[in-house]
Amino acid sequence: MWEKFQEFYYQHYKKLFFVPLLIVLLALGSLVYTYSTTGDIVAKDVSLKGGTTATIYSSESFPDLELKLLEKFPEGDFTVRSLEAFGSDTSLGVIIEVSTIDADALEPALEEITGLELNGENYSVEFIGGSLGASFYKQMAIALLLAYIFMGIVVFVTFRVPIPSFAVIFAAFADMICTLAVFPLFGIKLSTAGIAALLLLVGYSVDTDILLTTRLLRRHDGTLFVRLIDSMRTGLTMTAAAIVALGVGYIFSSSYVLQQMFLIILIGLVFDVIMTYGMNAGLLIWYLRKKKVEA
Amino acid sequence: MRNYFTWRVWILLIALLLGALALAPNPWASGVEIVSIDASSDAAQFGLQVGQKILSINGQKVSNEHDVVQALALFDYPEQEVIVKTSEEEIKYTVTNDLGFFVDENLTIVESSVNVSEGSTLLSINSEKISDLEAFEVLYDTLIPEKVIKIDTDEGLIAYLSREIPPLVVSEATKTNLRFGLDFTGGTRVLLHPVSSEEITDEDITTLIDVLSNRLNVYGLSDIKIRSASDWEGNKYVLVELAGVTEEEVKSLISQQGKFEAKVGEEVVFEGGKRDIPYVCRNDGSCSGIRSCQQSTEYWSCTFDFSITLSQDAAEQQAAATEDLDVVSESGQRYLSEPLDLYLDGELVDSLLIGENLKGQATTGISISGPGYGNTESAAVEDATASMNTLQTILITGSLPFDLEIVKLDTISPVMGESFLKNMLFVGLLSILAVGVVILVRYKKFSFFFPVMFTLLAELFLILSFAAVVGWNLDIAALAGILAAIGTGVDDQIVILDEAVRGRKETTNTKERLKRAFFIIFAAYATTVAAMLPLWNAGAGLLRGFALTTIAGVTIGVFLTRPAFASFIEKLDAEKKE
Repeated sequence: MWEKFQEFYYQHYKKLFFVPLLIVLLALGSLVYTYSTTGDIVAKDVSLKGGTTATIYSSESFPDLELKLLEKFPEGDFTVRSLEAFGSDTSLGVIIEVSTIDADALEPALEEITGLELNGENYSVEFIGGSLGASFYKQMAIALLLAYIFMGIVVFVTFRVPIPSFAVIFAAFADMICTLAVFPLFGIKLSTAGIAALLLLVGYSVDTDILLTTRLLRRHDGTLFVRLIDSMRTGLTMTAAAIVALGVGYIFSSSYVLQQMFLIILIGLVFDVIMTYGMNAGLLIWYLRKKKVEA
Repeated sequence: MRNYFTWRVWILLIALLLGALALAPNPWASGVEIVSIDASSDAAQFGLQVGQKILSINGQKVSNEHDVVQALALFDYPEQEVIVKTSEEEIKYTVTNDLGFFVDENLTIVESSVNVSEGSTLLSINSEKISDLEAFEVLYDTLIPEKVIKIDTDEGLIAYLSREIPPLVVSEATKTNLRFGLDFTGGTRVLLHPVSSEEITDEDITTLIDVLSNRLNVYGLSDIKIRSASDWEGNKYVLVELAGVTEEEVKSLISQQGKFEAKVGEEVVFEGGKRDIPYVCRNDGSCSGIRSCQQSTEYWSCTFDFSITLSQDAAEQQAAATEDLDVVSESGQRYLSEPLDLYLDGELVDSLLIGENLKGQATTGISISGPGYGNTESAAVEDATASMNTLQTILITGSLPFDLEIVKLDTISPVMGESFLKNMLFVGLLSILAVGVVILVRYKKFSFFFPVMFTLLAELFLILSFAAVVGWNLDIAALAGILAAIGTGVDDQIVILDEAVRGRKETTNTKERLKRAFFIIFAAYATTVAAMLPLWNAGAGLLRGFALTTIAGVTIGVFLTRPAFASFIEKLDAEKKE
């Protein structure tokens, strides 16, 4: 049965390229579109844009907080989220994000609306200046780019063959492009923690690619196809373990920052499966079969 | 039974043991420790010190912060109204544990921090006539009786009489050496960016940090961390972290350049700092305090007043500046034509009229005053006290080499810290268990499940021990890094398991296959480390903690836990084959 499947795969695997390629193109298109409408490829939160994040810890809920804030500051781009303990409806508090109002102006307004006296016990506030936010964003973007370059160098040094190494790097890069492109669908805004998550994604997505490349390139027992299926079994187990662990983290974590990180890696892992076994595997099989023919 | 204890397993076990020693050398520690105490308080004068452990307060055992707050609440006094009659006025106000003034042996009011004017003579309190100092003290004690305060510490019992609630800040005795960052302990994090037209050298930053830490120390804060930071764009920053709840005025204390200048006309006669002002009176009611409060239609305003001593040089400079001034007459008093103007960062804080008799005279004693406002009298007193403390601190410590801009300011409540931490630990363990379930489903073997669980927990434990050894502050980002490191650990273990399992069909031996597994593991390790390195300096290094824990975590995994895991699986596999 494997033989038939193998034959089928060898006949059609090049067509399989088109699926990931189409996805990458769609993602690029979406990023370009976002760029042309908003001036940046991704929506940023206050940690990269500058602004104020205020958290009120209170078991009370504040209906219409956003509306009341907008009445006071019509120019404010408020995002209001409630902080809830998992598995119960008890409110832990509320998080207010705004990039146009500074912390000193926000606090009295919040006191007036909520009727609470805000102090160091029940109130956390994080403020970041606009120019610092912009400079953070620039540097984090460079850090991300550098991370890809360093990773690429490591991959080249490890395998010492250009095409398979390039395939690994491209798969990892495509992974990030696609993840960034679906941010709006999940309502994710990129934060400093989000960039940390993207960096982790580099590590996670490269893991399966390295596994695949090593098994196909450096092992010689069994047919290429058998080795491909083999490394898919291992790689998919790895991804499944990561998805389950991150999923549990996403559901049960009470920290919004962590939830965002987990969600970003989760999305990335799904794309990673497509990129690794759709694109990277195909490229490798094509490269190895061609080499064999030539040799 | 094969010998599972290969040298790789032994190394891991020894590492775990050392880790346990580093992490928790004192796992049965208890009690609460004094983190800070007001040095001028009665409690401090009777011997209570930072670092002591409090065992009980007035016989009530204390084992956590909450207990201490509760025990100290017993020393609270109810509010009561008093009517104080002096030779000049009759004043009604509310008190708790302090009348707000003292009298000398002639019953003259001194050290008043309330509306009662200093210098007037006390006649009665609550219409009870007071004839002498002893009568005053007896009456004081019936109004606000001194309480017995007994604090048992690990260094002995301290007992005294006082009306003052011991101004303590405590924290629970630490059972582990783990240190948690502001995300969990609460506090203030300030990132400052120097504003200067000239280029700022590392030396400037060092001076800046010296003055800043001195300022915060003089102000009375002890748990401070200050470090410099820089980024790729050549910007230099100073990062200040203050643990615990911090007061509002700390912000101005940190960001104010604090350039204090005293001018006569356009001429600067003296500046802030030790050189010109060797002594600033503070925490001494006789020469520093809130002098008077008034109510206007909308708010209260209070005036503070404290004296400073000028150096001889500064005094002479002032004398030279006043020598050629004219004498003018104003509402019957005769003053010099130019006042002594005091500026703080270019803003006038006080203007002192110079008496005729001081013309050309070198005088070293000067009194500075300023206002404070509030909706209530106590708010105004508080505001004035805060302004006074800030000004005193700035005068003592001098000005910063340049102005600072607050570019990032986080004030984090300590309340949620503990529950966040518990939640993270819970999430971490649950995730590890979830991974175990995946392993169980895939391989259907408990002989794989337990080693995987053990390895993951060992990894978690070793990363935490490492953090304890290097004194790393664990914040949310760092814990995320730990989770990430454990995540890659799972990946590597699956690679090892698969190589071991699949090998049974193959001709190659297990060693060969594990070598291949480690090729994959090391390549993956190198890419993760490479990806984290750029975070070291990017964005003033605020994600450095995350990068460091991730790198430390994967390194520990690759060199300690995974080799042990692989050798264990190898033995297990060999046993199965027989």
